[in-house]
Amino acid sequence: MEDCTSSSEQDYYCSDQDSLDGIDNDESRVQWVPPKASSCKVITKESLLAAQREDLRRVMDLLSLREHHARTLLIHYRWDVEKLFAVLVEKGRDCLFAGAGVTLVGNHDLPSSSTIMCNICIEDVPGTEATKMDCGHDFCNNCWTEHFIVKINEGQSKRIRCMAHKCNAICDEAIVRNLVSKRHPDLAEKFDRFLLESYIEDNKMVKWCPSAPHCGNAIRVEDDEFCEVECSCGLQFCFSCLAEAHSPCSCLMWELWTKKCHDESETVNWITVHTKSCPKCHKPVEKNGGCNLVSCICGQAFCWLCGGATGRDHTWSRINGHSCGRYKEDREKKAERAKRDLYRYMHYHNRYKAHTDSFKLESNLKETIREKVSNLERNELRLKDFSWVTNGLYRLFRSRRVLSYSYPFAYYMFGDDLFMDEMTKEEREIKQHLFEDQQQQLEANVEKLSKYIEEPFDQFGESKVMEIRMVVINLSVITDNLCKKMYECIENDLLGSLQFGIHSIAPYQSKGIEKATELSVCWNPKVTNTEKCPTRDYHTNGITKESNRPSGSGSLDESGCSSRKRPRKESTIDLNLPAEVIDRN
Amino acid sequence: MVDFARVQKELQECNKDNDVSGISIKPKGDNLTHLAGTIPGPLATPYEGGTFNIDIILPDGYPFEPPRMQFATKVWHPNISSQSGAICLDILKDQWSPALTLKTALLSVQALLSAPEPDDPQDAVVAQQYLRDYQTFAATARYWTETFARTSALGVEEKVQKLVEMGFPEALVRSTLESVGGDENMALEKLCSG
Repeated sequence: MEDCTSSSEQDYYCSDQDSLDGIDNDESRVQWVPPKASSCKVITKESLLAAQREDLRRVMDLLSLREHHARTLLIHYRWDVEKLFAVLVEKGRDCLFAGAGVTLVGNHDLPSSSTIMCNICIEDVPGTEATKMDCGHDFCNNCWTEHFIVKINEGQSKRIRCMAHKCNAICDEAIVRNLVSKRHPDLAEKFDRFLLESYIEDNKMVKWCPSAPHCGNAIRVEDDEFCEVECSCGLQFCFSCLAEAHSPCSCLMWELWTKKCHDESETVNWITVHTKSCPKCHKPVEKNGGCNLVSCICGQAFCWLCGGATGRDHTWSRINGHSCGRYKEDREKKAERAKRDLYRYMHYHNRYKAHTDSFKLESNLKETIREKVSNLERNELRLKDFSWVTNGLYRLFRSRRVLSYSYPFAYYMFGDDLFMDEMTKEEREIKQHLFEDQQQQLEANVEKLSKYIEEPFDQFGESKVMEIRMVVINLSVITDNLCKKMYECIENDLLGSLQFGIHSIAPYQSKGIEKATELSVCWNPKVTNTEKCPTRDYHTNGITKESNRPSGSGSLDESGCSSRKRPRKESTIDLNLPAEVIDRN
Repeated sequence: MVDFARVQKELQECNKDNDVSGISIKPKGDNLTHLAGTIPGPLATPYEGGTFNIDIILPDGYPFEPPRMQFATKVWHPNISSQSGAICLDILKDQWSPALTLKTALLSVQALLSAPEPDDPQDAVVAQQYLRDYQTFAATARYWTETFARTSALGVEEKVQKLVEMGFPEALVRSTLESVGGDENMALEKLCSG
């Protein structure tokens, strides 16, 4: 890569100038906000209702339904609006409704003057104290209430069926809320929460942020569940497996890797093969040569072959007071294999660890860089803009991260655990060379970038600073491209050609892990009141909601959400470090 | 809290047409939470001629929670445990509706006797036999009905007499029968084992 940087420096410089100009003059852009509107959304406790309503609204509009019917349908179809519409087209409206337990009855009038016989308590009750569900079944309010309470306590809030035998209809949530709140207001609240949270719990595209202690937020993604996101609480994670962001490792690889590192299973493996426990103090003892009479540091002598305690006197042919047996061949083979596996693991782990350690050191650079920049600014150079420094530093972090996770990826990609049956030995070798070439190029450039950024350039003269600027900008572009290429290689040449092992990796984000934006909500407490207040007058309710319809998905309403934004940790650059590193900072 | 007013009404209602349906429910003890139901074995089945006792416990939430029912009489049936008498029936579980009653539940149990569902078995051994060798299944079920569901229909005095004839002292027979809840076979077993 050396000649690549030096020979074409001028070209890189020119083209970079153009592309980086926009960023150069705008200090606030140093945060590297993704250029397009983010496709992931943070759903806070407050915006959950509105998030749900977007989907409810679509279904209500298309089928001209009341909200609770739309919700029943959506809960049944796990908030997959597209699937719901597909069923509608394929099987028709009646089938769609029947499957989900929605019954539409126009008339809700109760014969208020007469009395009715409740089939549950077998008592006559005045019509005013009975309620007829949409399905036409009529029972007394007391029995309905008891039924709802039992179902809510059973955790079935999302689908409370009518009390009549074999009636599949789902009860009107407004009636449930109304009746239950009269006797158990707290249970009615629980019911509401269940309905709201169904949007998260039952929805493939929405997941709770895995932060601990929990920030209360959920994240919604638009189309691809294999992505990495950053919650507004600052936690970055893999949306698919909820672990720390780990691309280019697949979720399975990362799970195996963390487990392996945690167990240190290889070490344990090696110890079991190479050592024996002392029969007296039970410490593992390694044989460092000599005969099979081993003595532990505690002074106990024992036979290496069988592990039994012995006396200390021995001759060439026998140990005093002991004779066990034979040499075992398979043990030798096992030892060799364990040793090889351990070396392989150590190779990848050491490199993974080295890059993670470099993060730690480089993240300290943040402060020094800030100092250097202010020093330079004081120097009254012709050059006024120093965002290339922070941009370079950012690029360094981003690439280090990729580099670091590329080692566990390689460990599994070219190891025996996952793809043993999918590639021949030759195929594997070819792929390994291909990948390692890319990895090495990236590594070399990342190290170079690191070296230049650490230079005390604030002490240098103007021409020297200009020179470093050029190199840093060049290297930034090169490493970015190399990262991109490595992901492409993984996706197309390595994983793409496999038949059985399905490993999806989150795509490379040049600008860092996508920050989920807060869902835009027109927050109007009045609406929630009408919403929550149990009312039998559905028509007015419908109109109120119509006028407060949240702005369409995807559109960003900055003013609407800025007030609720959580205070961020003060930082000028997004570090994009793995969680363990951030913890220590 | 169990709705005792409803349970009371249910018992009255059920025992009114006892002679037609053959189904009866009686309280077992002082309160109405523990009941004993009996159903006749359906005609044209291996259970014909037997009388089956069913132990009923009403949970606190009854009728909003299903009653807990299990056979007290031993029965050979794919959906009933031959060991414990546990019943695998949807309406006693998630398909329960408060609009159902103890009588309708017992009728469903009776219907289950005539129409076993071996694909959703409670007792895997019985279910396999039902599917692979129906003849043996029917014979076993009939034998169990003869052995367990008929004798329990005998009056106490007849049982006492039968056991006394076998040579056991009457007082011991009476106390043993009482201790096993009137089950003649268990009493005999206990008497023999001393």
